[in-house]
Amino acid sequence: MTAIAILLSVLSQFLLVCGQVLLRRAMKATPVRVGILAGGIVLLTGWFFLWLGLLADWDLSRLFPFEGLNPVLVALGAWLFLKERLGLTGWIGIGLISLGVALVTSA
Amino acid sequence: MAADARERPALVRWFLNPYTQLACDALLVTTAELLLKKGATSGTPLSASIAWLGIGALASVWTWLGILAYLLSLACWLYVLRHIPVSVAFGLISIAQVLVPLGAWVFLGEAISMRRWIGIASVLCGTVLIARTAPARRES
Repeated sequence: MTAIAILLSVLSQFLLVCGQVLLRRAMKATPVRVGILAGGIVLLTGWFFLWLGLLADWDLSRLFPFEGLNPVLVALGAWLFLKERLGLTGWIGIGLISLGVALVTSA
Repeated sequence: MAADARERPALVRWFLNPYTQLACDALLVTTAELLLKKGATSGTPLSASIAWLGIGALASVWTWLGILAYLLSLACWLYVLRHIPVSVAFGLISIAQVLVPLGAWVFLGEAISMRRWIGIASVLCGTVLIARTAPARRES
């Protein structure tokens, strides 16, 4: 992969994690925080088009490290910014899911 | 709110369960990704300089169907996030990643490599572990 493709992959992951954190923050509030929700949807739209573009140029099996790490990165983002606590069992579960996704997409 | 929930028919309560919606979301995301992959590879590239934006794929009807499935999945996802922490929900939704090879194996008779089987088993084990922690973490 080219340096630009890797950079764009990292950027798309960053958008995905931030977008998901914002969505959860908006949705768990009562009433729903519409401004935060809109911000999350904007970031996820950015992720969507970047990822679409990357899939057009690269086979998924080349993008597997980025696809695989997503559950871990989202859990880290939620831990940092939303104070979500998974516990050891949960983290092991997230780790197995990430490993599994990486194995499936790299094959 | 709780009293209302008890009065709803069982089928409605089942449908409104966040974990049911999470399962719907997994199916929709899987469908969307298959459609988008088809669209991304069959669209007409406009020019190399903006191809990385994925705009070329918008020329394909498959991409638009994929976007529709994505919008539906977003609605499910927002509902899920109202009730379940995002780290748990995102871990569970990753099961969508193994539905594609499993679906191809069941419906199309495509072979699955040993490496993929190990990956699928790993995702399923992780999903079980997350699901076991989920009820205690559930918020409303």
